[in-house]
Amino acid sequence: MGTLMKISIFAFAALTAAFNPVHAADPTGEAMAATCAACHGTHGKLDVVEFMPLAALSEKEFVRAMQDFRSGKRPATLMGHVANGFSDIEIRAMAKYFANVE
Amino acid sequence: MLNRRDFLKAGAGLALVAALPARAASGTGHVVIIGGGVGGATAAKYLKLYNPALRVTVIEANRSYIRPYGSSEVLTGHVSMDDLVVSYDALKSKYGVEFVFDTVVGFDPAKKQVRTAGRQSIAYDKLIVSPGISLQYQAIPGYSAVVAETRAPSGWIPGTQTALLTKQLRAMRPGGSFVIVAPPNPYRCPPGPYERAALVTEWMRRHNPTGKVLILDPKDSFVTDATMQLGWHRLYGYDIPDSYLSDMPAGVKNSGKPSPIEWVRAMDGGATERIDARTLTVKTKQGAVKADVLNIIPPMKAGKLAFDMGLTDASGWCPVDRRSFESSVHKNVFVIGDASIADAMPKSGFSANNQAKVTARAIVDQLAGRAPGEPVWSNTCYALAGSDYGLFVADVFRLKDGKIARVPGERYLPIDASPAKIRLAAAYQQAWLKTFTEDCFA
Amino acid sequence: MSRFPLLATLVLALGAPYPTLASSVQPTPRTPSVADVRSTLASMPRGDVKRGKELNQSLMCASCHGDAGVAPTQNWASLAGQRAAYTYKSLLDYQTGGRHENPRATLMTVAVKGMSRQDMADLAAYYASLPAKAAPAPRLDKTAHARADHLARRGDPARLLTPCASCHGAAGQGGVNETPALAGQSVDSFVRTMQDYRDGRRITDANQGMRQFAERLTMEEIRKLAAYYARMGKN
Repeated sequence: MGTLMKISIFAFAALTAAFNPVHAADPTGEAMAATCAACHGTHGKLDVVEFMPLAALSEKEFVRAMQDFRSGKRPATLMGHVANGFSDIEIRAMAKYFANVE
Repeated sequence: MLNRRDFLKAGAGLALVAALPARAASGTGHVVIIGGGVGGATAAKYLKLYNPALRVTVIEANRSYIRPYGSSEVLTGHVSMDDLVVSYDALKSKYGVEFVFDTVVGFDPAKKQVRTAGRQSIAYDKLIVSPGISLQYQAIPGYSAVVAETRAPSGWIPGTQTALLTKQLRAMRPGGSFVIVAPPNPYRCPPGPYERAALVTEWMRRHNPTGKVLILDPKDSFVTDATMQLGWHRLYGYDIPDSYLSDMPAGVKNSGKPSPIEWVRAMDGGATERIDARTLTVKTKQGAVKADVLNIIPPMKAGKLAFDMGLTDASGWCPVDRRSFESSVHKNVFVIGDASIADAMPKSGFSANNQAKVTARAIVDQLAGRAPGEPVWSNTCYALAGSDYGLFVADVFRLKDGKIARVPGERYLPIDASPAKIRLAAAYQQAWLKTFTEDCFA
Repeated sequence: MSRFPLLATLVLALGAPYPTLASSVQPTPRTPSVADVRSTLASMPRGDVKRGKELNQSLMCASCHGDAGVAPTQNWASLAGQRAAYTYKSLLDYQTGGRHENPRATLMTVAVKGMSRQDMADLAAYYASLPAKAAPAPRLDKTAHARADHLARRGDPARLLTPCASCHGAAGQGGVNETPALAGQSVDSFVRTMQDYRDGRRITDANQGMRQFAERLTMEEIRKLAAYYARMGKN
């Protein structure tokens, strides 16, 4: 394998590793969920009617929704873009966090 | 007026205290926060959420907060100045955050103390500084703070200038020109000047149908430029510049007719050389532009306090450890929000809110002797091209090779978004103003 | 096509997909008579279920009301199994500015902008084709269930309360006097709606008939009825 090829493979792996939390340390479910609060409410608890409350949402529903947003199967304004930023493992971690909010 | 040397009790040669081992395992301590804006308020609340045993004190000059996000809606009468006011009551009563309504005039990083104008000496275990921005009025020849307060308002830090600008818009003669001088990068709220231009244009269609809005820009692009201009095209008959046409959906055709809104980019001579406050004239490379109402959004730097405390670098912004936002200059001091250097994160309220949470978490971990977790931030901002026309930028950010980088992917409202999506986005923008304020302050 | 006042207002309301005026016009509330309601519905276009299914996605209705008309949160109403006439009239009412009882109505008013009457009929047909699912509800003990059942099927003559079922059907399927289906509606949606009628915030039902019922029921009874009807959907 040529040097350039090796470098390319290494760079690619490094890039994926940088963004693929399977290899890097994962932010906690709570830390990721905190990024949602500005729209979905602190701890996912909401007063406004426009957005979906996330508190006590079942894990299954949360994961399904985020995956469908990410794949584009479920139309949305910006949730597709947001969901794109998270891996399946991270989505499950967030789901677990929200499911356990009282 | 204190110079920076006076400001630091110890002068040059200040020995940075090495990171001490963790405090008592209980992880309590006193976190002091300077600045009760979005960053400071969110940090106070989340510190208390993450560890209710912490003592949290916010030092803030004003007894209530005037929110800058959505403040352009005052110009159009969609909201009033009163609607922008946010109370600190919830932070106090619900979370037990203490408030000292005062300004900081002294800082001793070795002793870990700050001193207020009211002569209080406040010791901290950790200090968060969230001072926002300072508007560099003097960077534009002919402009000054006095001119901004009386003649050509900026209204970028909301308050009396916002009210003045609103009054001037109402009083503008029929067919007059509302000129916006846009700022150079980096600045607070990337789509903001263009949203303001759009909302004013929409308002003028009803109240001053022959009036015009002109944006003079030292830049050639801005975040959300494609979707924003498409909105202007559809709503106000704006002609899309050649360089953007290929981005546009099929069927977009310029009319060639004059439009009430115009954007003059740097490449077309839009950069300001000087202004004449008396005649409200802007001198650009192209020539002179006479305004009836002149809204200047000047270059920005970190809030003045950051300079006084020695937290800035040559760029005029504050270098920080990208993981925790701990200052690269002073240990145990954290800088968040607009004032910080956060690489790919835009300077926005949403960013400040997210940075506050990551930093609060990092401080709680530090005080408890834990290694900080992996950070993640997002910035999702809706903006309006019209009251019923919403668009956005949405990003998730991670640490990559020591810098904060966007996770690659689409960021904007799709250029071929349906009318339903666009209407819904506008409804979401309004809802977001409420949910965001609650997450930061309540 | 019969002439009716709503059509004229509707034509004005429809316009370019990107309205240029700020949407700050205050709508005029209007309570229809029974005849008004009948004539509105007489001119409802024939609905296309398949097209309605597509519109449910493309017009972003599914964002709140779900792919199959079951809302993912009690924040928003479920529409699965709702009578087409009722859905159609509701959408028209939002569009002509008759509904502003709470922030949901404001959001719906935004959502229906640019919808044609055909769109409304198609969506209505789609939701009507979907099975109503039983919604989560607190368990009613024997007494509470009996109370709700009695109110629903026998009413209360002392309070001049005719049975709910006389219009809404024994199985909560709606239909008589163009009333909505109630089966499978979420508890919160049911309670909110009754409160809106009770407080006079919602007035687009014929002669404000629902206000009289909602006023005479206690909140406790309303909550029991909500649970009763929530469970009526299929599982």
